[in-house]
Amino acid sequence: MTDVRAPETDPFDPAAERDDQPRPGSSSPGGTFGLADWLKWAWRQLTSMRIALILLFLLALASVPGSMLPQQGSNPASVQQYYVSHPALAPWLNRLGLFNVFAAPWFAAIYLLLFASLVGCVVPRTFRLAGSARTLPPRAPRHLARLPRSAEYTIALPPGDAVEVAARVLSGRGFRLRRPDDADLAQDWVSAEKGYLREAGNLLFHLALLGVLVSVALGGLFGYKADRLLVQGQSFADTVSALDEFHPGRFVTAADLGPFTMTLNRFDASYISSGQQRGQPSAFDARVTYTEQPGGPARTFDLDVNRPLSVDGAKVYLIGHGYAPEFTVTDARGHVVYNQPTPFVAGTSGNFLSEGVVKVPDAQPEQLGFTGVFVPTAVNVGGTLESVFPAADNPVVSLIAYAGNLGMDSGVPQSVYQLDTGAMHRLTTSPQVLQRGQSLKLPDGRGTITFTGYVPWVSLAITHDPGQLPALICGIAALGGLLLSFMIRRRRVFVRARVGPSTGIGTTVQVGGLARTDASGGFEAEFAELAARLRSAHEQAASAQPSQSAQPPPPAQPGRPAQQQAAQHRHEGE
Amino acid sequence: MLAAAVLAGVLLIVVLATGWAGSGNGGVTTVDGNASAVVYAAGHRPLAPGFTATTLTGSKLSFSSYRGKVVVLNFWGSWCVPCREEASTLAAVAAKYRPPGVSFLGVDVRDTTASALAFMHSFHVTYPSVSDQSSAITLDFTAKVPIAGTPTTLVIDRTGHIAGAVFGTVTYSDLTAILAKVG
Repeated sequence: MTDVRAPETDPFDPAAERDDQPRPGSSSPGGTFGLADWLKWAWRQLTSMRIALILLFLLALASVPGSMLPQQGSNPASVQQYYVSHPALAPWLNRLGLFNVFAAPWFAAIYLLLFASLVGCVVPRTFRLAGSARTLPPRAPRHLARLPRSAEYTIALPPGDAVEVAARVLSGRGFRLRRPDDADLAQDWVSAEKGYLREAGNLLFHLALLGVLVSVALGGLFGYKADRLLVQGQSFADTVSALDEFHPGRFVTAADLGPFTMTLNRFDASYISSGQQRGQPSAFDARVTYTEQPGGPARTFDLDVNRPLSVDGAKVYLIGHGYAPEFTVTDARGHVVYNQPTPFVAGTSGNFLSEGVVKVPDAQPEQLGFTGVFVPTAVNVGGTLESVFPAADNPVVSLIAYAGNLGMDSGVPQSVYQLDTGAMHRLTTSPQVLQRGQSLKLPDGRGTITFTGYVPWVSLAITHDPGQLPALICGIAALGGLLLSFMIRRRRVFVRARVGPSTGIGTTVQVGGLARTDASGGFEAEFAELAARLRSAHEQAASAQPSQSAQPPPPAQPGRPAQQQAAQHRHEGE
Repeated sequence: MLAAAVLAGVLLIVVLATGWAGSGNGGVTTVDGNASAVVYAAGHRPLAPGFTATTLTGSKLSFSSYRGKVVVLNFWGSWCVPCREEASTLAAVAAKYRPPGVSFLGVDVRDTTASALAFMHSFHVTYPSVSDQSSAITLDFTAKVPIAGTPTTLVIDRTGHIAGAVFGTVTYSDLTAILAKVG
């Protein structure tokens, strides 16, 4: 796929790709296959398309255990559970890193090799493209009439002058020129080529692709993602134990988190109250107070869905919201054993009909649990409660009470949104509906639960991705490079002049042209226009000529050898 | 066949290189063999940050008043299943080590007073706890030791330095082993 030593080959010619069989190189005379050859061969293997595809497949394969086994990073509770249920197998899986697949050395090995493979493929290709962008046009072919586009006419100018005029016209059009060198000075021709930006575009695309890879790696290694649900009036600090979820990059530790603290002062959501879009949100506003470090000055900020807060190098996004009904629970002894807002999560039925659970593990004599539904604007439709509007205009909760063992005193950590009723018994036969301020008296003197009010909550995503901006820039550059290489044609024009048609009478000028890549068409018209332009320039020059004698014509810069001029034109062409 | 051999070789080198990058820790010895209970050697003990906070019973508490004593600082919450598991262990160790002068202090994380007091009543916890609803105290300690979750238990020596830690559920043998080395 790559070969640095063959700059002459066309980078897009499949025939230019070398076979990847080992063979003695020039560095090993006598045919022995030395260490250098082995290394070269291994490198060629690594950077071949075949190995890149194998590595890509391996990467996909290696991710499979990550989705089949519980992972330490995202779900440490399930890992502990796995240890309990598979005491013999779990330590071995742990030794193989299967509980932390994406941070395991063997996983890192695969993606590092894939990265090396891609880099090893793109970098030499970049050099080749750079070389190809600097090459001169080829020498003019002998029979220009055989080219896809050609024209021929006779003028009354010496051949040398005719080529000179043509060179001037082509150079003025931004072509890069090539003139005969010392060996074939006897010939009068000029080669011209245009559209090198195509190669520059290609080069840009490849370099930008590499940039995207590096950016993604940067983000993956040094970035992190975290989530936190924050109830209005509460605060949190950006530290692992205060986050609900934390997904660090390979080189990120808990100490890399920015030490900010944040309080949700107020959250408002407005909804369209009439018309077709009734119930659709019209505005969100989360007013937060934050300090960048402990003891620092407190600042306020209004978080909105598309307006994240930048703090300590991280971005805090508002990604969701909901209602947290407030409950007070007293137990059989009359002790207040629960008094807090409890986040409920909106289901799919719309209008923020939300579900949640209340766990009271320290109620006496038995633990209490409640499953509940919060209805922001409740309407009784044939005996079932429905929410008709997302704002809390008529908030009610509907509760089912349980008593027994919540399963919280041993075993695995459990979700705060689920109630395991396996070891509990129902205290109420039907769901009990409570308005704000109403209480439900539990049977057998087990106590009461009171629905005291509600507050909103927001869910925040805290992300740090150092590769985001570079990836965006590289992505745009890659697109730009791709567009350049698609839209620009590389085309060549040759002009030959020779004495003729019969000796001593005039000069025959042949113009030939071809587009190397003419996917978008249009070269035919361009060539016709250019040939006409050359002819008129020649005729103009001929009429300005006093006689048809073979006097040396006044060149553009008299006395300069043709090759030097060509070099100059080449410079202009770039 | 050759390709596979070379690939395996390169793979091995990369694995070893990435494996090495993760090792290396000075002054830390594990108590239980799996790095969740550790003792920091003298000279490698981070200074515990100071804090002033409100206890669950409503009085002010300054951590600096514990200077000169060995303190077991337990980060817990009534909502946290492993905290409920270790509560009776902590209560037992606290009762045993109170006569030699070891103090116990709880830091109640992301909790409410009502639930926390009910927890303390259930598990007969007699030592005080300060409320850390916003995790601000946890944040200060995380700058010194890698607290990755609740529960975490720290042992502070007489000079106010963090001498040992249990990351996760405390066992009787781990905690007493750390106290034996610090005491």
